Amino acid sequence: MVALDSGKHTVVPAPSPRTARRPRRRQRHVGWVFAGPAAALFALFFAYPLGASLLQSFTAEDAGSLRWVGLDQYQRLLHDPAFADALVNTGLILVMQVPVMVGLALLLAALLNQSWLRFRGTWRAVHFLPAVTTLVAYAVVFQVLLKTDNGLVNQMLGAVGLSPIDWLNDPTWARVSLILTLTWRWTGYNAVILLAGLQSIGKEQYEAAALDGASTFTTYTRVILPQLRPVVLFCVITSTIGTLQLFDENYVLTRGGPDDATLTPVVYLYKVGFQQFDFGYAAAIAWVVVALIAAISAAQYFAFGRERRR
Amino acid sequence: MSTRPPRRRVVTAGLAASASALLGSCAMGGAGGAGEGPHELGGDDEDGSSGQRAAKLTGKITVWSWDVAATAMKRLRGPFEERHPDVTVDVVDIGYDNAYDKITVGLRGGTGLADVLTVEGSYLPRYTANFPTGFYDVARRGGRFGGDFDRAAWRTVTGGAGRGKVFGLPWDIGPCALYYRIDHLRAAGVDPKSLRTWDDYVSVGVRVKQATGHKLLVHDPTDSGMFPMLLQQQGQSTFVGGRIALETPAAVRALTLMRRLAEHDLLAYEKNWDGMVTATKEGKVTTNPIAAWWTGTLTGEMPELKGKFGVLPLPGFTADGVRTSNIGGSTLCVPAQSDNAEAAWEFIRFLLTDTGNQVAMLKREGLFPAYLPALDDPYLSERQEYFGGQRVNAVFARLARNIPPVEYTKDDAKAKDITTSAVNSVLLRGKDPRAALASAAEQLADATGRKRVA
Repeated sequence: MVALDSGKHTVVPAPSPRTARRPRRRQRHVGWVFAGPAAALFALFFAYPLGASLLQSFTAEDAGSLRWVGLDQYQRLLHDPAFADALVNTGLILVMQVPVMVGLALLLAALLNQSWLRFRGTWRAVHFLPAVTTLVAYAVVFQVLLKTDNGLVNQMLGAVGLSPIDWLNDPTWARVSLILTLTWRWTGYNAVILLAGLQSIGKEQYEAAALDGASTFTTYTRVILPQLRPVVLFCVITSTIGTLQLFDENYVLTRGGPDDATLTPVVYLYKVGFQQFDFGYAAAIAWVVVALIAAISAAQYFAFGRERRR
Repeated sequence: MSTRPPRRRVVTAGLAASASALLGSCAMGGAGGAGEGPHELGGDDEDGSSGQRAAKLTGKITVWSWDVAATAMKRLRGPFEERHPDVTVDVVDIGYDNAYDKITVGLRGGTGLADVLTVEGSYLPRYTANFPTGFYDVARRGGRFGGDFDRAAWRTVTGGAGRGKVFGLPWDIGPCALYYRIDHLRAAGVDPKSLRTWDDYVSVGVRVKQATGHKLLVHDPTDSGMFPMLLQQQGQSTFVGGRIALETPAAVRALTLMRRLAEHDLLAYEKNWDGMVTATKEGKVTTNPIAAWWTGTLTGEMPELKGKFGVLPLPGFTADGVRTSNIGGSTLCVPAQSDNAEAAWEFIRFLLTDTGNQVAMLKREGLFPAYLPALDDPYLSERQEYFGGQRVNAVFARLARNIPPVEYTKDDAKAKDITTSAVNSVLLRGKDPRAALASAAEQLADATGRKRVA
């Protein structure tokens, strides 16, 4: 009976083509009504500038008149020592700051996830707060903290008998300062994201590991971390993109100096475009940064994401 | 947008030749984009007695400026509005840190600028050369004032792409001298009068440091510091005849001097303006080789140090060499976007070609006039209490006339970034001055397509 019934229902005559098409087409129009404004805004504020800047990177400007120069601007970048410095600085931050920060964030996330911790909500908020601070405001605060004379950090060093450090005026220490400020700002942010990942892992996993006699360390390295891989990957990729786009911190703290020690591609782009009026060259820098971000993100995705996909 | 009705009012008022020429050029140039040449502010006002003209000026003008310059104009717009009752002047203090970004974006976008812009003299040529249609050419109105202004300052308003063009009027200028701490030199047993050459300067620095522990001067490691000042003292800038002049003997001398100061540990590294002010206020350094406008900072920000400073002409590279240079100094100009260029120009002329106004701005805001007739005012030979009764302004007035004019180009911003790297690679990493300058010259040639001198 049931089979017969259901069979009957499937033989419902197909609607005539006319009646079928009309509602579908109307649906399509309705879709555009909703998507239209967003699409228009996207075209106006994303697609158009994107295309325009790509075109601009093939031009040079001479006293207000544009000239098509093909790939000249990109060739110039190949042997521009300032751009090379900017890339080296970014590379240093990528290699030193990002792993340290993600490691710290993992530890912090594991801590914040412990059931014995009291005021967990407060702790999470406290660690997330730096990420909400205005970029310029916190850079200014660090500038005050790291002042050579009477800066709080140097006063504390002095209190334990150490000589003051020229934090922002010495090339090496300026890099250290930049790395410290970045770590301060973004560790908590990443920790909260990792925490969300940790909380999606059920209690039973910990219990099963405990039953098998695994130590806490082994539990984390063998059971929890592998499951956290996609979240860690997300943190690493967003941090990498952030590093490649670094501007506010080093612009406010050191203006990219001293001796270009904290120059980044985007600060260089800003200088070239808005201070040197070399807009074509600036556009070329922007596109090289875009290409680098795409390439590095893809590389990270394939390196870290492989196991999960297998 | 608010300037639109006034334009129509000007037309209905039947303003003859000059206004229609102005409107014509406005309509043609429009956004100040890619027209053929700069807009001209036509019509001669031979005698400048603006009696008749005054009645015709109407509407509102907006002025962009910062710091004491804005203060001065807020003070002097009152008398101007009294003279031109139909004109309102709105002075906006846009802050120095954002000023050039705003001006650059406005020029590039062709909209959004004020009617009168403050632009530092050394910056104006890079704007007029990169945006040749972005400004009114006031040669026919202002050209005749050429002889009244300091020639180094005048060169900045005619410079860049301009041939026989005048893009504004110079306001103040920064004749350089050496400010020194009287007490530090005394403690080291140094007679200020013995300080004649840069060699003397280095050895005085060493003696003062031994005796008192104070360093000699401030250097900002994100800036090229005294390098451009030392170049101009020797009569050149980064470019000579359009060629890159970083490998000249003058450039090598300048950077070698800076390295000697670093090697003797006489530089106090401080970032930005605030760092320099604080280091001076705390007595960390003994001297400031800097421009006349520094007086205003001393009296304004460190009144407690009254009587502690003296002023000497800048040390020379040779005993009989030029004893001054220039840092800073501003100009006022009218962007081609202005709908009320007549009134804007009249405001500039009122401020800057009037001895009384110029001397008042020196007295009240410490702006050292580039307008030469003002330098003869009795006020300049008065004794300054702050400097223990020294006639400081007389020293600067004398030095101002000897400032060597130098060349500015559209590529100055690039040159500055690249020389900043060169200077600091020498000071912070001990690179050889000659090698640092050679690689800077190569980099600059690559970035600008210009040839190198020598």
